[in-house]
Amino acid sequence: MSGTVLTQADIARRKRIRFLFSTLRFALIFISLAIFLFPVYWIAIGAFKGEGEFYHYPPIFWPNHFSFENFGRALTVFGGTQGLVNSLIVAVTNTALVTVFGVLLAYSMGRFKVGGDNLSFFVLSLLFAPPVIAAMPLFLVFKTLRMLDTHQVLFLSYVLINMPFAVWVMKGFFEDIPKGIENAALLDGYSRFQTFLKYVLPLAVPGIVVTALFVFIFSWNEFLFALIFTRSKVQTLPIVLAGMTGGHQIPWGEISALSLIAITPGIILTLFFQKYLVRGLTFGAVKG
Amino acid sequence: MQGMRKLLFVFLVLFMVGTQAAFSQASASSKVTITVYGDQGQNLQPVEWLKEEAAANGINIEVVGVPFTSVYEKLKTEFVGGTGAFDVVIFYPAYLGEFAEFKYLQPLEKLFPVHDPKMNDVVPAYRDLYCTYAGSTYALPYDGDILNFYYVKNIFTDKSEMAAFKAKYGKELAVPKTWDDLLDVAQFFTRKKGQMLAGKPLDQDFYGFAFLGARGFAYAWWANIFGGYGGAFFDKNMKPLINSKAGQDALTFQKKLMQYCPPDVMSMGYEELKNAYLQGRVATMVQWSDIWKKANDPAISKIVHNAGISQMPGVKQADGSIYYRAAAPVGRVIGIPASTKHPKEAFWVASKLSLDLSLRSVSSTQTGEDPYRISHMENPKAFEQFGTLAEAKEYLAVVKDNLNHIFPDINIPGSAEYLDALDMAVTNALSGSASVADALNSAASTWDKITANLGASNQKKIYNAMLESWKKYGFWKE
Amino acid sequence: MARMIRPATIQESEKRFARLLALPGMIVLILLVAGPLAYMLFNSFLSKTLAAPIPPHFAWFRNYADLFSDGRFWNAFFHSMIIMAVGIPVQSVLGLIIALLLNKKFPGSKIVIALFLIPVMITPVVAGFEWKIILDNRFGPLNYLLGLLNIQPIAWLAKPVSAMISILFMDTWQWTPFVTIVLLAGLAAIPKQIYEASSVDGSSASETLWRMTMPLLRPMFMLVVLLRIIFIFKIFDPVQILTAGGPGMATETLSVLTYTIGFKNFNVGMSAAIAVIQLVIITIIAKIFIAKVMNRTEGRAK
Repeated sequence: MSGTVLTQADIARRKRIRFLFSTLRFALIFISLAIFLFPVYWIAIGAFKGEGEFYHYPPIFWPNHFSFENFGRALTVFGGTQGLVNSLIVAVTNTALVTVFGVLLAYSMGRFKVGGDNLSFFVLSLLFAPPVIAAMPLFLVFKTLRMLDTHQVLFLSYVLINMPFAVWVMKGFFEDIPKGIENAALLDGYSRFQTFLKYVLPLAVPGIVVTALFVFIFSWNEFLFALIFTRSKVQTLPIVLAGMTGGHQIPWGEISALSLIAITPGIILTLFFQKYLVRGLTFGAVKG
Repeated sequence: MQGMRKLLFVFLVLFMVGTQAAFSQASASSKVTITVYGDQGQNLQPVEWLKEEAAANGINIEVVGVPFTSVYEKLKTEFVGGTGAFDVVIFYPAYLGEFAEFKYLQPLEKLFPVHDPKMNDVVPAYRDLYCTYAGSTYALPYDGDILNFYYVKNIFTDKSEMAAFKAKYGKELAVPKTWDDLLDVAQFFTRKKGQMLAGKPLDQDFYGFAFLGARGFAYAWWANIFGGYGGAFFDKNMKPLINSKAGQDALTFQKKLMQYCPPDVMSMGYEELKNAYLQGRVATMVQWSDIWKKANDPAISKIVHNAGISQMPGVKQADGSIYYRAAAPVGRVIGIPASTKHPKEAFWVASKLSLDLSLRSVSSTQTGEDPYRISHMENPKAFEQFGTLAEAKEYLAVVKDNLNHIFPDINIPGSAEYLDALDMAVTNALSGSASVADALNSAASTWDKITANLGASNQKKIYNAMLESWKKYGFWKE
Repeated sequence: MARMIRPATIQESEKRFARLLALPGMIVLILLVAGPLAYMLFNSFLSKTLAAPIPPHFAWFRNYADLFSDGRFWNAFFHSMIIMAVGIPVQSVLGLIIALLLNKKFPGSKIVIALFLIPVMITPVVAGFEWKIILDNRFGPLNYLLGLLNIQPIAWLAKPVSAMISILFMDTWQWTPFVTIVLLAGLAAIPKQIYEASSVDGSSASETLWRMTMPLLRPMFMLVVLLRIIFIFKIFDPVQILTAGGPGMATETLSVLTYTIGFKNFNVGMSAAIAVIQLVIITIIAKIFIAKVMNRTEGRAK
């Protein structure tokens, strides 16, 4: 490869172009952020609005007062705290289950092509069906097992919804990992499982992290199974929120407040796992 | 990181086991536990009020609340699954026929001695058409939803408006009592921003009328007109009458009214319609009784002490009288599942809710319930927090009157399916996707299919039993 | 300690190891998923409704025949297809662009990425209700802002075309971040060496992008597009909450129809049939997509 000799002028020009691109980049990011976050902003200010300020002309873009009344009421009167706790238990447990089992299945399917195209497509096809069709049969099963209205019934039934997705995404990441790394480790004397743990997993981390993140979010927001399989002991957040939106006196302020609180676990998780998502971190440097 | 994840997982398992143990503490009390099912939020407030008295009577009340739109599917799933999880169920009367027919609910007369619910105190038409099935009482009333006609008072009494109206239409400006009158009034009051209304310039476009056009309950707003035209859902042989001349005329008329309604009327649900009225976008509209309770709250209303409520417009008959019907979508009634292990205690709870707590319930800001008992109607003082005594009296008189002209939802088995097909036809025609005739004919043939699927002879039998009540109140024209 | 390596043993031990790993996941899937699916298939051949106490009976293909001859079914099918045809390209391209924009670390990038994910995190029910307010003809901020640009207020949810657009708005808003984040992870998985090599090489940024990054990102991109296709075909919450299929049936999709027939009318046989049809359609689409688009990456030298 020939090296190009860069003149001072060239370097200066390239610097200017890069600066222009940088500015453009930031501008685009800012605009996109503004558009995507506007509805979130609307919910956020809604948390501080009073009853008559939601259907108001002209629309109120900045709250008149900043009391945290709505937050308090949402958490106590409307059962928000229970909703949060229950959703947390269910989502965390489900994410752990799906990730652990899913990683194993995804690795074997992605790397070793276990089951071939058929199994692969079968797993994918489980994503096709809307969960609503499984609601009634599973209801009868869980009723017989006396599992209705428990946490278990949710984090187990969510496996149905989340596992196929998790397996497919992680499978993609495992497929992309060069076989050479594993072979090198095997030659070095490591067992298969050790190879998997020490050399393969670290490279698949972005995939696992992003999968776990979304499995958590999907569990956190799941509505249908939560509605059908629980009654009063285990009410998750979506049920609490949906319950607030019914009937004739919709407490928009409290709903907005609770929704805001509801997104904090997701945000915390994303911030925490960022470093595994964005390029720039040195993880498991590829040797050889 | 590996180690941390393992640790996390172990911690979770412990956490889960722990919380599960905590939750499954069986309550070791000698009390009877009655589980009440209903739609979440304010409508279950009366149940909370009852808890203390119930406890004093040896009854522990547990509440299971579900989102408003999920009441049917959750309840039906539990019934079909035979879980017996609920002792008292609060649901919408449209499902009464189906639940009674399937014997999910038990007839209640034999339980009356436990705590007499005073059914004679319930507004008669509402009682007979929404609480009984095949001659037995299967439900106690809980919420008397009925549609009413609302208007903005001052524009009807303003001198300049009255003069202009008389000049244009050759008759006095008055709150319309017939649909034809409403058409004129709506046309008259539809104005652009900047034009004058009752002496003041408008700061926004103003419309003469509004209705609920959003999918789900839109059919009821058509039913008001259809009922006034003398319509009924089926004839006595279960032939659908929705596409009869009365049905088509009613829908055509509603389309005409649409030109004087806000442009977003087809997406208007409860909230949007309420706000259109309270925020001064429309001159008149039709909606549930509880709007009146909110009209005098300055935080959400611009028509404080200016909200009028009136009987549903109707059709002038040959003898000069006006025939009108008011639809009653949603509503709430209380039933006792056949599977309950404690029918007496369950009925006690239900009867308390329907009778003793009802006045407080329908006159409170904390609930969404509307009046349905004669004793409610005779207590205007209880409603004084919503308006003046005079306004309260007017409100109660109108509600009682509209209740006595009720045009009930279909409540035979399959009601959800019938009403969905009808709702689709009405909204299709109004939004212009189909002609009035095509939409209604299509719905009628869907209705025939539904009837066939559900067993035509049984449906006919059940429907005819219901018609007896219609005849009793003079709603059935042979 | 080096082990004696014989090819045949490696194959077998490989397979055994792999199958062992796969076993727990497989058991779970089969138990929880295959059962209900089979039950649903069975139901689709029954004339079974729970709205009246009639015993279910075999109706063979009657449900399917009724569906195919019903305009309402085709209408729903058409709407599902439109949402897919418009939503997928928009969300994929937009998501990719934003992922590329966010791919380099900059001060605050951590927060920006987390913020971008918020739309996916909001409970669909609440998101739907908030969008309803935002789109309100008179009181919504969108029409107000349009008004500042001298555009007449649009009755978004009251007219068929604008209602469909509103649903696409909401779905795009909610799911583009999903595409972005998965692609970011895909970009993160590209070894740094590649970039180091090309910058030594003297290639410009855009050359690097097109010649190196995109091809390496392709498998992940195709994967996320496939997933979006599958998910968008099932679209339910935005439609049900914003319009409930209205005005009239202008926005009714297959999932909304399935839900209405299955959970409001409790016509179990018919809704099972629609679900089966949905499954068949998406299977065909997925198979075609995988065969035509994804398999082109096979034979790529590793």
